[in-house]
Amino acid sequence: MTYDVSFGWTGTIGQVTLGATKTDGGTRRVAYQLGGGTTLPFLEEKSASCPPLIAFEVCDDPAFWSPIIRDYCGDVVNNPSEWAKTAEKTYGADLVRLSLTSTKVRNFSDIGAVGKTVESVLSATGLPLIIEGSNEPKIDSEVFQKCGETGQGERLLLGTAEAGRYRSIAAAALAYNHSIIAQSPIDINLAKQLNILLREIGVQRNHIVIDPYTGSLGYGFEYSYSAMERIRFSALKGDADLAMPMICSPADTLTIKEVREAGTETRDEMAVSWEFYTGLAAAAAGAEIICVRHPVTIGLLRKAFADLTRTAAPAEVR
Amino acid sequence: MALKALDIYKLLPKKNCKECGDPTCLTFAMKLAGGKADVDLCPYLDEQAKTVLGATTRPPIRLVKVGVGERSFKVGEETVLYRHEKTFYHPPGIIFRVTDTQAVEEIAAVTRRVKNEIFTRVGSDLRFNGIAIENSSGSPESFARAVAAVEKEEAHLPPILISRNPAAFPAALVHCGSYRPLLHAATEENFKEMCALARQHGCPLVIMAATLEGLVRLVKDCTAEGVQDLVMDLAPESLEDFITRSTAVRQLSITRQVPELGYPVYLDAARTGRQDAALALGIVKYASVIITTPLAPGPARAALTLRQNIYTDPQKPIQMNPGLYRVGTPDRNAPVLMTVNFSLTFFTLQGYLESTRIPCFLLIVDTEGLSVLTAVAAGKLSEVLVRDSLKKFGVEEEVAHRKLIIPGYASPLSGRIQEATGWKVLVGPRDAAEIGDYLQEEWKKESSG
Repeated sequence: MTYDVSFGWTGTIGQVTLGATKTDGGTRRVAYQLGGGTTLPFLEEKSASCPPLIAFEVCDDPAFWSPIIRDYCGDVVNNPSEWAKTAEKTYGADLVRLSLTSTKVRNFSDIGAVGKTVESVLSATGLPLIIEGSNEPKIDSEVFQKCGETGQGERLLLGTAEAGRYRSIAAAALAYNHSIIAQSPIDINLAKQLNILLREIGVQRNHIVIDPYTGSLGYGFEYSYSAMERIRFSALKGDADLAMPMICSPADTLTIKEVREAGTETRDEMAVSWEFYTGLAAAAAGAEIICVRHPVTIGLLRKAFADLTRTAAPAEVR
Repeated sequence: MALKALDIYKLLPKKNCKECGDPTCLTFAMKLAGGKADVDLCPYLDEQAKTVLGATTRPPIRLVKVGVGERSFKVGEETVLYRHEKTFYHPPGIIFRVTDTQAVEEIAAVTRRVKNEIFTRVGSDLRFNGIAIENSSGSPESFARAVAAVEKEEAHLPPILISRNPAAFPAALVHCGSYRPLLHAATEENFKEMCALARQHGCPLVIMAATLEGLVRLVKDCTAEGVQDLVMDLAPESLEDFITRSTAVRQLSITRQVPELGYPVYLDAARTGRQDAALALGIVKYASVIITTPLAPGPARAALTLRQNIYTDPQKPIQMNPGLYRVGTPDRNAPVLMTVNFSLTFFTLQGYLESTRIPCFLLIVDTEGLSVLTAVAAGKLSEVLVRDSLKKFGVEEEVAHRKLIIPGYASPLSGRIQEATGWKVLVGPRDAAEIGDYLQEEWKKESSG
């Protein structure tokens, strides 16, 4: 192209490594390097481009999961380690995101069970793991401590830190060398503020993945889309406190009216369309990890990402 | 360099003749400064002033209208690369394609679908925009027959005529030539014939080339032939081609680095072999006319919703009218839930409440469209507002109890609201998704005890 399309960027997205293989002291089959971008998504020169990663979400108490997914996946949903294995072998995900929904039960206290679940999932799959810990501040400390400890050496991605609630998770990440997801409510300034708070207590920039919060398509997605664009834009302009890779987790997608109320014949298609359109648009705005809950979405996103980056596989660290 | 409104005003005739459609020369100058009007609208400008103004005030991307009447649509006149910099103004037309090898009944059915299908979301009607008829058969007669089949439905949809053969158009244009169809496409080989057709029928024309240089040449050639309403097909073979070229075109045109590229972009979503992905990317990355095969219900809704989201003006929060809303048919013992008038909060909560099947009242208070979290932080949601709203919307007359459920994020205000209103305040969940469980457990307990 003879026309010079220059945006005048000076910054680079910082890199974060997920997972650790044997050579790095872990047991993962693969590890990934996120970040490194120097311009808008999918406009990189060939050498620098790697497709976004697709994380499949599983949980340890499917009562908290969409019935659409329970029906589609079948009995495997009752066994998180089997489900994680299926995500890797059958669905073809790059990452597994384990939500510890069991901790949502009122007065939950069986921290030992959390450790066992994490352990069984780690041995069932060779993929790097994202772990979504408790939803209850009272048990945060114990839950994250247990996850961190159990996954020691595996370079997990732990979620989710928020402005009012980041110390327990940061402590677990620091103690066992994991990375963390830093979530802010669709606001670039709050995202930056949280990153600074995390830095102040010792979390390195290369251990943070930004979650600008993904409002569901049709329910505020445009705010998330712009927040992602602005974070990417600021990072490329040189703001190091925002120069981290981003994660898009459209967890609300399957509970919105359009999907929930679709008839039994169309609800899978509706769920997949909603996840796919959200995930692809978020990737175009700068998200580098796209979380999905419907297995069918994985293949669709993978083909689109391959076509956008002219590559077949995500950037593995060797 | 862009001129300021007052600098432009100095060059205008200052007659306030209104012939440009604006009440005064000053308001016209302001529009020119914002790239929202064309200098050619002023009949009294001398050539020199026109040259000075033309280069700096013409909208960086030309506005092009496709079709006539109620269902016509306009695209172009965009000014930014990121929607949050200002807004995206003209949503892309999403067009269903039929081919002249299909049976007449099939073509008619697609036409009726585009004519009638409406999704209503957040108070707006979402629709597909037109019908593209492709001359796949190569035969001008079949092409004309297919166009006639579309027009026979009297749907008055903007038509797009697609053929590689300029000689195929005249017979087809007999049926729709006066409805401003978009013609696809002029290339280096055939632009003279295609321009003659566009001129004759006064319709917009797609130019097609796989390089930006090729497009610039075609723009120069076609405008020299007297056709100004152009749309550019970047001829992408892959999604990567599309996003790279489309971003380049947007950036080079809005910065006026290459003003010749200042035309809306056309995208044939099927051409890349990944139709859904191309459709989603086209919507977020600057396509203005998108052609697709008729979509299944899932992608149809997702695409229209994505378009609605991306083309929402980020400068304006979407607001609901404050008031007392009903979910189902609530009786005097039904719960009363209070929340803000940010429309997404409202529609999300309403969606969950409907699925709980517990009839209730929803009191929407005026936080100027701010969400609960921001309204609390900004002090827009206060006990005074809640007290006044309870009174103003006559909630006391509607229910026999005095219990108010407030959003979880408003919990810091619970004591003050209770004091100011005299109502017992119950703090609901932070996440609307949990409202069903909350009502089942907490409200049942509260109302029985």
